[in-house]
Order: sequence, then structure tokens, then C-alpha cells
Amino acid sequence: MLLYLVWLLPLLGAVLLFAFGPQLKSWAGPIGSAMIGVPFAATLALWPEATAPGGGLHLQPMVTWLNGWSFGLQLDRLSLIWTLVITGVGFLIHVYSIGYMDGDRAFARFFAYMNFFVYAMLTLVLSDNVVGLLVGWGLVGLASYFLIGFWFERPSAVGAARKAFVMNVVGDVGIMFAIFVIVAKVGSIGYADVFAKFGTAFTKEELFLVCLGLFIGCAAKSAQVPLHTWLPDAMEGPTPVSALIHAATMVTAGVYLIARFAPLWNASPDARSLVGVIGAITAIAGAVLGCVQWDIKRILAYSTMSQIGYMIMGVGVGAFEGGVLHFLTHAFFKAQLFLTAGIVIHALHDEQDVRRMGGLRTRLPFAFIAMLVGVLAISGVPGFSGFFSKDAVLYETLAKGHPYLYAVGVITAGITAYYMFRMLFLTFLGRYRGDVDPSDLGIRHPELAGTAPAAGHHAEEEEPHHHAPAWLMTGPVAVLIPFSIFIGWVQFGGENSPWARFFGDFFGAAATTGPVPAPPFSEGVSTAIVLVLVLAGFAVAWLRYWKPDALQNAVPRLRTETVRTPALLWNAYYFDAAYDYLLVRPARALGGAFVRYVDPHVIDAAVREAAISSQWLGHLFRSFQTGLVRAYALSIAFGVLCVVAYYAVVFGGGR
Amino acid sequence: MSAPVDNYIALSAVLFFIGVVGVIVRRNPLIMLMSIELLFNAANLALVTYARAWVNNAGHIFAFLVITVAAAEAAIGLAIVAVTFRRSPRVDVDEVATLKG
Repeated sequence: MLLYLVWLLPLLGAVLLFAFGPQLKSWAGPIGSAMIGVPFAATLALWPEATAPGGGLHLQPMVTWLNGWSFGLQLDRLSLIWTLVITGVGFLIHVYSIGYMDGDRAFARFFAYMNFFVYAMLTLVLSDNVVGLLVGWGLVGLASYFLIGFWFERPSAVGAARKAFVMNVVGDVGIMFAIFVIVAKVGSIGYADVFAKFGTAFTKEELFLVCLGLFIGCAAKSAQVPLHTWLPDAMEGPTPVSALIHAATMVTAGVYLIARFAPLWNASPDARSLVGVIGAITAIAGAVLGCVQWDIKRILAYSTMSQIGYMIMGVGVGAFEGGVLHFLTHAFFKAQLFLTAGIVIHALHDEQDVRRMGGLRTRLPFAFIAMLVGVLAISGVPGFSGFFSKDAVLYETLAKGHPYLYAVGVITAGITAYYMFRMLFLTFLGRYRGDVDPSDLGIRHPELAGTAPAAGHHAEEEEPHHHAPAWLMTGPVAVLIPFSIFIGWVQFGGENSPWARFFGDFFGAAATTGPVPAPPFSEGVSTAIVLVLVLAGFAVAWLRYWKPDALQNAVPRLRTETVRTPALLWNAYYFDAAYDYLLVRPARALGGAFVRYVDPHVIDAAVREAAISSQWLGHLFRSFQTGLVRAYALSIAFGVLCVVAYYAVVFGGGR
Repeated sequence: MSAPVDNYIALSAVLFFIGVVGVIVRRNPLIMLMSIELLFNAANLALVTYARAWVNNAGHIFAFLVITVAAAEAAIGLAIVAVTFRRSPRVDVDEVATLKG
């Protein structure tokens, strides 16, 4: 029963806030937060039940539709982790939003959407069947659309929201395809049934197709190449949204999906290789793009993409525990990074360009500490959470026999350190550059660089209004800091770590195509390699942004760097341009051709012809209406004669 | 009994044929109405003949119905003839073609 509470309270909150938002005024924030906080506490209370042997807590069937189509809720070890993160981190972000969104015209609407998002996400992870998963999956995309387009006065936000939605729907189609195949072959939708029967129900090719369909969905939602282009644009939403959706929870739904369907992936080494390769490509592609971004939220967006690449690579090669652990640690440190970025943006009145920051260490000391911890964690500095999870993913990748993916991952770790420290140095060290003329920094169109003040946000700034207390924003970040540092320690101890024991053989063993060669070196050596590269990344960042002379010449240096940004990277490998040329323009051209030719010459012509032909028919029949009674009588007589002749021929022969 | 039935039916057919020809070739509405009466009564004769031949009273009942309809038809038809006659003194149905399409 408690699980229903966990699931439905956020929905209740969303409905309540949407219906009575204007009346609730500033109470909307606390109410919205409580609707997430209570489920978190309830989930903690359900921990023993969820981890009990026998698959955890399973409410089944909640509703039975058709034979084999029963819907229920399921809280096992995997969904427990996700539910805790969604409600826990979600609660902190809600509290933070009370401060961040204070004074926004649509304060209550924001919390309604946020609650709705949490509800959608919980539907996704708590469902015990593939259809419920798809419903949650779609609702999450919808919530994301609402939140990215939250400031709908801005055309860019609306465009970004639409882009995210369309990309997500591409993924939904993939999942739907997979579910159709599952339903057609297995005949039921419950996870338990599917996992029990898929071995006999599917041929090898069908299994691969199902995995491929699932992975398309996963790639769209988790921003994997080539469906990643919506994620950087999604930064148009308010910063807490970026933290909640585009860092901590929604984008990791793909990781959940693969981990949930672990038995299927275990049985399909081909699909696993595909996922691993895509994950690795995404990891390094995102990291490289992170190096050339100037918008603080875009840097974090690309780092998110890169980190999810790690997770996907991990679950792809069969290192489910490692991938899920990286999800867990990433949820904390990335939420922390985003929320800290939000504090910075808030303090600088919606300035997001790191070129116009600098020297904020003294002005925002707390933000500096929080950002530093986050950067250390994401870079994988020993002792911080990212170190454990990233190391686990990387070494598992090597141990499962993927040396190339491992190499890509290790290089990505070095790049990650570089661009994260670059962001830290640019933001907090040196001299404040907000008063420098933007053109001296190489910013050509300040209004296009994401530096323009928000249209809807703080529209009432002129009126003196009471500011929410600062602890509402710093408090949640302060809570996240210890988690960012220590949560990774659950993995300490390898085979006997609490993390390994928590999952045990939950995910089962992955089938392999052949004997896996023993890794060429031990985990210690691997850690050392990663550390050397992280150090190298840090050193490059130091050389370019922290060395005394780099700090002194910061303005001209940033200008040169801006001007010399390779076009390939600045345009994000031309993915958007490629989609424009390959899909958008042909679609537009086709539409234009239809407007110009098909509509007037086929559709309209058909309507015109129908009118003309009925007119002609009318003319024809009118000629029979002579008004001569005798002519009518003659035709009646003729008709009667015909009837009589018919009966005479058909029935007359018998006599 | 078969020969008398054939005779009655032959008479009915002849009457019907005379009626049809009368309706089609004559232009005087009064003659046309009389021809229509011939059609009705040719049908009545056939109905009654078969009713007697097969000992089935449905034919008689139909004949009564036809007589009723014939009476109504004569009333309405003569009224129409009277109205058209008032409009134009020439009595020719081909002149009354105002419903021509």
C-alpha cells in the first residue's frame, strides 16, 4: 500500500498544483516538495521489503486487462535504487527550486510540471511490465517537453522543447516496436513472463531486433549518438530542470531500460557490442564537445552526455553493477554541479557564459567549494564517488574483453578532467570579466550566446519583492556534497563490497561469443593509467586557464580561443546540419511540392471533378423529365413488360 | 376447371392491353381516366379468377382494395382534369407539361 503512495503522491501534487496553483501562491513550492519528500521517506521504509529474497515487493495484479495483460507495481533492487534517486535527489532539487524560481510568474506551474515529471519517472521504474514502462517512458518525454519549454515566451525554448519531444518520440517508436515483437511472440507483458519465456519464444535474430528497438528508445532518451542533439538544446529550461531531468534522472532512463532487460542483453552478445560501441562513441564525442563550449550549462550538458555514454558502455558490455553505480554517483555529483551552476547563474542575473565570469571564488565561496567537489567527483579523483564508479565501468569493460572500448573510455576520462577543470577555472579563478566588453572576449552576438536575460524569468525584478532565503538554494547542494564524495565507497572492496553484495547475481551472467581473454593488467594498473590521464587533463587545464600568465592575459586568450574554435566542434560535428539537410529540408521540399502540385491538381481537382460529374448526371436525368404523362405511362408499361418477361423466362419454363 | 380460368385470364389480359393502349395513345384526360379504370378492373378480374380457382379469399380482399383505390383515383383524377380545364379550354394532356425538367 505504501508503494501506491510513493507512486501516486507526485501525481496528486501535480494535479493539485495545476488546479489551485494561483490560490496556493508561495505554498506551491513547499507542497510540491512534500509530494516528493514523503515518497522518498516511504521508499526508505520499503527498503527491507524490496530487498527481501524473491524479487522484492510486487503488487500484482493491480489491474488485469486481457489474459496475460495484468498491470502491477514492482519494487525490486534495481527499481529501488532508481526510486530512491528520483525521489531523493528530486526532493532536494524541488527545495532548491523554491529559491531558484522565486519570483517567477508561473511558480506553481513549475512545481506542477516537476511533480508530474517525478510521477512519470516513477511509473517508468515501478512498472512490472513492458507496457507500463512504455507509458512511463512517453510521459517522461511529455514532462520533459513541458519543462524545457517552460519559458514559452522564448522561441528558442519552444524550439528546444519540440526538438527534444520529436527525438524522444523517435525512441518511443523503437521501444514500441520491441514491445510489439515481445507481445506477439511471448503473449504476455510482465517482465517475469518475458524473461522466463524469451529463450524459447525468440530466435536469435528476433532477440537482436528486440534489443535494437529497445536501444533506439534508450539512445533517444539517454542522448546517445546519433540521437543526442536535443540534450544541449534542452538547457533552455530552468536550471533545476536541467539538474533533475537532464542530469540526474530522465536521461538515465536508458540505463535503467538496459539494466531492467539484462536477461535479454545477456543472451544477445551482438546487441551488447552495439550498445557498448555507441556508448563509447557518445562518451568521447560528448567530452570533446565539452571542451569548446562557453555556456556553463552546455558544458555540463555535454559532460552529462559523455557520462551517460560511460553508463551505456558499462551496461552494454555486461558490467551492469558498474553502470548502475555510475548512474548513482553521477546523479549526485551532476545534480550538485547543475545546482551550483544555478547558484552562479542566479548570482550573475542569468549570465551563463563562462567567458563573462571569473573570479567568483571570493564572491561565491560556497559555490566554489561545491563546484570543486563536483568537478573532482566527475573527474574521478581518488576518494570521490566518480572514481569508484568510473573505475568499475572501465575495468569491467576491459575484463569483459573490449580493449578498444576501454581505451576510448580511458582517454575520455582524461578529456573529462580537462574540460571540467577548465569550467571551474574560468568560472571561479582569475579576475571577474563580466564588465569586459563582450566583443573583446570574442562574443559576437551576446544575445545569441545564451547571455540575454530571460524574457519570463524575473520579469518582476523591478518591483521590490521578498527574496527567498539563500539556504533554500545552498542547503540542497550542501546535502549533496557528502553524497558526491562518499557514495562511491559502497563499491570499495570489489567482490565483497556492499554494492556487489546488494546486487549479487541480480543481473545474471552474460553469454559470450567465445572465451574472454584475461585482461592484460590488473585493476590497480588500470586505475593508475586513468589517474595519469586525469592528471594530464588537469595539467592542460592548469596550463591554459590557471597558470599566472594565463590568468593575466585571460581576455585576449579567450578571444583567440573563441575565434579559433574548430568549426567541426563548434557545430557539434554538424549533426544538426546533417539532420537539417537529410530530413528537415527534404520534408519541407516534399511539403512544398504537395502544396504546389498535389493539392491543386489532385485533391482539389478530385473535388471539382466530383461536382462537375454530378452536374452532368443531373443534366442527363433531367432530359427524362419531359412532363408528358403519356411518355411516363409508356415507360411504366415498358418497365412492367420487362418485369413480366423476366418472370416468364425464369419461372415460366416449368409448365 | 382449367379451361374457364384460362378464358377469364385471357379476357383480363385483353382488357388490360386495351387500357394500356388507351392510356398511352389518347390525349384526352377523360378517356385516359376511363382507360385506367379498365386497367383496374382487368386486374380485379384476374384477382377474383385466381381467388376462385385456388379457393383463397386473399384475391377477393385485394379486389376490394383495388375498388377503393379506383374510387379515390377517379375522384382525384377528375378534380385535376377539372382544374386543368379551367386553366385552358383545350383538353390535351401533352399541354399540361409544366413539370418538364
